[in-house]
Amino acid sequence: MNGKRAAAYRASATVALFLAVLTGIEYFVAIDFPSTVVLLLLGLFKAVAVVNYFMHISRLWRQEGSH
Amino acid sequence: MSAVTSAVPVAHHGHDAAHDTHGADHHEDNYAVAWRHNRLGLWLFFLSEAFLFGGLLATRFYLWQENGITTRPPLNQVVGLVVTVVLLISSFSMNLAETGLEHGDRKMFMRGLVVTAVLGLVFLFGVMIFEWGLFPSIHETELSPSKDVYGAVVFAMTGMHAIHVISGLVFIVLIWNLGRKGHFSQERHWGVEACAIYWHYVDLVWIFFYPAIYLIGTAIHH
Repeated sequence: MNGKRAAAYRASATVALFLAVLTGIEYFVAIDFPSTVVLLLLGLFKAVAVVNYFMHISRLWRQEGSH
Repeated sequence: MSAVTSAVPVAHHGHDAAHDTHGADHHEDNYAVAWRHNRLGLWLFFLSEAFLFGGLLATRFYLWQENGITTRPPLNQVVGLVVTVVLLISSFSMNLAETGLEHGDRKMFMRGLVVTAVLGLVFLFGVMIFEWGLFPSIHETELSPSKDVYGAVVFAMTGMHAIHVISGLVFIVLIWNLGRKGHFSQERHWGVEACAIYWHYVDLVWIFFYPAIYLIGTAIHH
């Protein structure tokens, strides 16, 4: 159980790091190469990560009883 | 509201589990079915909210342009980045809290909730102080909701988002208080899951609001 728990915490930290990196990229893109399309795409990548890993959208299609 | 605060899902099937003649297994099945229904209901609520926030985003892109060029108010981008990172870290701590409970780590669950609430407050006060200028002795701002379209839209977007941050904070406090009293377990924690995904939804909205308010377009100085 501890191994599973540690793996779950690691996955959470990895997603958070991914979001932080994209946020940093957003900031520098806005300052150095302002592009609405690139900024919206970066936002979209972040949104997909949050919906998939933090909001667990896939649980909507899981068998009853599992979570 | 009871769906939010209770450790037991709301959508049950009209009978008292204690009197269920089919025993504990049937009771667990009912809980699982109710949990699934509640989850779907919450996502439908998010969908309805998306129209509200989508409308605000559309307003921003429609009104913030001059001579065909997309514009934005001259907000402090460092402040925007800092509050965004704070909200992002709060999503991480909320995920740790939920994951902790799912794996039987109650200490992580309770601590994660506290950290999330504190970071949520920091985000809220950051917006109130540096964007709304509610405390002029600390920071003054040129934006006003009635001055021009920039102030009006900034206040509409951040105000609507702030209402959701506040309701999320109330939700977290309720869940923390129930958790402190021993509610929720690895098997039964719909309230915690609802609270967590609601908070992540608040973060999700800000993921689109942040570039729309602070980054996209040419800063206009009046």
